[in-house]
Amino acid sequence: MAARAEPQPYRADWKRGGITGWITSVDHKRIGILYIGTSLFFFLLGGLLSLFMRAQLATPNEHFVTRNQYNELFTVHGTTMIFLVVVPILAGFGNFLVPLMIGARDMAFPRLNAFSYWMFLFGGVVLYSSFFAKGGPPKAGWTSYVPLSELQYSPGHGQDLWILALHMLAISSLAGAINFVATIHNMRTAGMTWTRMPLFVWSIEAYAVLLILILPVIGAGLTMLLLDRQVGTHFFVPDEGGNALLYQHIFWFFGHPEVYVLILPAMGMISEIIPVFSRKPIFGYKAVAFSTIGIAFISMLVWAHHMFAVGLSWGLQSFFMITTMLVAVPTGVKILNWLATTWRGNLLFDTPMLFALGFIAIFTIGGLTGIYLAAFPLDWQVHDSYFVVAHFHYVMFGGSVFAIFGGLFYWWPKIFGRMLDERLGKWTFWLMFVGFNVTFMPQHFLGLLGMPRRVYTYDQGGLWEAYNLASTIGAGVMALGVLIFFVNVFRTRHRGRRVGNDPWVADTLEWFAPSPPPPENFTQPVPYVQSARPLRDLRLKLKERDARVGA
Amino acid sequence: MSRLCLALPAALLLALASAAAAVADTGLAPVTPESPNANAIRQTYWLILIVTGVIFVLVEGALVLFIVRFRGRGRARAQDGAQIHGATKLETASTIVPVLILAGIAAFVFVKLPTIKNVPPANAAGGALKIEVVGQQYYWQFHYPGGQVAVRRMVVPLERVVELTVVSPDVIHSWWVPALGGKIDAIPGRVNHTWFKAEKLGHYEVRCAELCGLEHAHMTGFVDVVTPAAYSKFLADHTGAATALGKEIFDGVCATCHGLSGQGDYGPRLIGNGVVADPKALEQLLRAGKNKMPPVGASWNQDTMDAATSYLKGRFGGG
Repeated sequence: MAARAEPQPYRADWKRGGITGWITSVDHKRIGILYIGTSLFFFLLGGLLSLFMRAQLATPNEHFVTRNQYNELFTVHGTTMIFLVVVPILAGFGNFLVPLMIGARDMAFPRLNAFSYWMFLFGGVVLYSSFFAKGGPPKAGWTSYVPLSELQYSPGHGQDLWILALHMLAISSLAGAINFVATIHNMRTAGMTWTRMPLFVWSIEAYAVLLILILPVIGAGLTMLLLDRQVGTHFFVPDEGGNALLYQHIFWFFGHPEVYVLILPAMGMISEIIPVFSRKPIFGYKAVAFSTIGIAFISMLVWAHHMFAVGLSWGLQSFFMITTMLVAVPTGVKILNWLATTWRGNLLFDTPMLFALGFIAIFTIGGLTGIYLAAFPLDWQVHDSYFVVAHFHYVMFGGSVFAIFGGLFYWWPKIFGRMLDERLGKWTFWLMFVGFNVTFMPQHFLGLLGMPRRVYTYDQGGLWEAYNLASTIGAGVMALGVLIFFVNVFRTRHRGRRVGNDPWVADTLEWFAPSPPPPENFTQPVPYVQSARPLRDLRLKLKERDARVGA
Repeated sequence: MSRLCLALPAALLLALASAAAAVADTGLAPVTPESPNANAIRQTYWLILIVTGVIFVLVEGALVLFIVRFRGRGRARAQDGAQIHGATKLETASTIVPVLILAGIAAFVFVKLPTIKNVPPANAAGGALKIEVVGQQYYWQFHYPGGQVAVRRMVVPLERVVELTVVSPDVIHSWWVPALGGKIDAIPGRVNHTWFKAEKLGHYEVRCAELCGLEHAHMTGFVDVVTPAAYSKFLADHTGAATALGKEIFDGVCATCHGLSGQGDYGPRLIGNGVVADPKALEQLLRAGKNKMPPVGASWNQDTMDAATSYLKGRFGGG
């Protein structure tokens, strides 16, 4: 049972089935591709919305969009990027990769898996249908704070559709998360103990457990808001005995762990990519795995750092400052371990590695600005200003999205059997890296100058205008990088270089399957796993045998 | 060595202090503080900037160094790097050192906290001046202890401690004067507090920092710090149904949607508008709102209402 040197590329089964094959599929790989494709589509939509916003803010007193449209833009942009792009694309990667990485045939509950995907798609359709609703799309921000999101201040159906969309997306994620936990706990191949599991699988485990813990909470909060709007209850109406702050507590009890839901699997991807392109094992496997769990645990205890300006007691503010600062400790461990992994390596700068290194460079900045926000008196200055906008784009875009692009370039040959073009890939990386920093670095300065977030215009010229204009130009450069990625996808569709099982000479089991993998995933028995790098073990064994045969 | 340990941060602080003057209001630090609390917040900023700056240089420096030093140089993909699996001592150190650094930052915050949160005692300029700040869609209203009301422009005497009570009758707003301290939310159903003591005459910008609806961007205002004499004149001008207040209401409340000269913008034209000429109908509209117009005058006392209706009638109602 030797690994074939040049395996015939497998003819993927959707090429036989047509559209019906896709709609009825319960194969984790097809569902993963559906997730990733749909998320990339929403990524284009959400990105387009952000370009409109940047156009509006390029110069003072601009009239590119109206005040009403601007509020709709940032609300739908934020909701899209979080709930329709990053969470589902990570679910897509998880779907495609987790069974392969743990040597399984499929997810634990294939039908539930399909249900998750379709709920996600319909949730997205419901959100975007709000553009045609009475009163237009929601306008109260992706956080939809009360009382602004109550019927009195947000009439029309946009807000209700937002609630419905989030309900559907929460159900989708919850079903998906249960599926991931069941799969990871029960379906690992022989020999794959917890400490031999790929770090991406660890991160999906943390992602799934966090989702199971927090989604019921936001579900409850959304239901209360819906009842307030439609049935006349007053959970959040202060004049009637309700409490406006209750919503913020519920929202952020969900919302902050959600941020780690968005970043942990991205970190997991980085932990897969860096060792392969450094030709080394990950430095401190256990430290990286446990820091994932550590971040997930602490993330449940930090929610009120989003509420330092609401007038909490000093004791509470101090508590949330300290817990928030603690997040920096496991995060620092990860950054140190990634850096140490490159130490004395044989660094190969293929596009996935460029995105991974770019991730470290950018995410470090996003992590450090988090300390400014944690120190609560300083947060009173920077809270709800453009400084915060810059901070969370440094972690969510420069962090999660860069890792996702790295992941796309890295696993693309596994998913489709063809490489993306490296030259275009490098253009994408450099345009996105430069464009990203030009866009978001000046936003820190704008925040410190006093520019609040979510304003549709400003009337200051001078530095305000200069920083805003730079930001808009950077957004354009980034958009060009993203555009080149899609050109790349289109051009390599038929012409991309065919690859065998393992083009990157990687270490984990997904590379043991053919590219793209057939419905049963593995065409040969999965070897007994003896370390966190089963494929390297196999390579060494084969080499040893060849040497013996040669002798 | 220990002298170097002390001298280095001291020199760094000195360099930063001089740099601070150079970067005033360029966005590299919070705007120039003119109140003790804002000043202490900015000191916290400088400390965190130094610490995170050092970490930034170390991490990014190591990243660039490793990229250059350990680049493949055409080595084959199959060629392994050094197979190092970890180093427990390094891991332990990388856990303990950040904890110590963060503890240091937290300790500094706690040392500065009393200066930031405690209202200073009465001084030569008198006891604390207590002003109620009402944030509502889409303007700021100020209630002075003597019953005077001002809209959009708060006037306070120099060096006097000003204690603010911040409330909202509608949605959440956030009171933010970057030069005079941090922000505090105005939340319906809650009463929040903050304070400042302006140390320089000036005109400071106020912004709403929490999304409050359509005109959030235009929910701005000013704090004017004036001499005690000018302050007394301000109070006299704002007693009862004063014209000064009427003009402030037009500029700060109506003009946001109806245009700076009442020519109409998001809202309809005020010039020659029938409702404006009828104080009763106008009061009803201001108190209850209509269609897209929020009930901007719902919380006004009769003097404020009269100031508004008579000013508007005088200016636009042909009367």
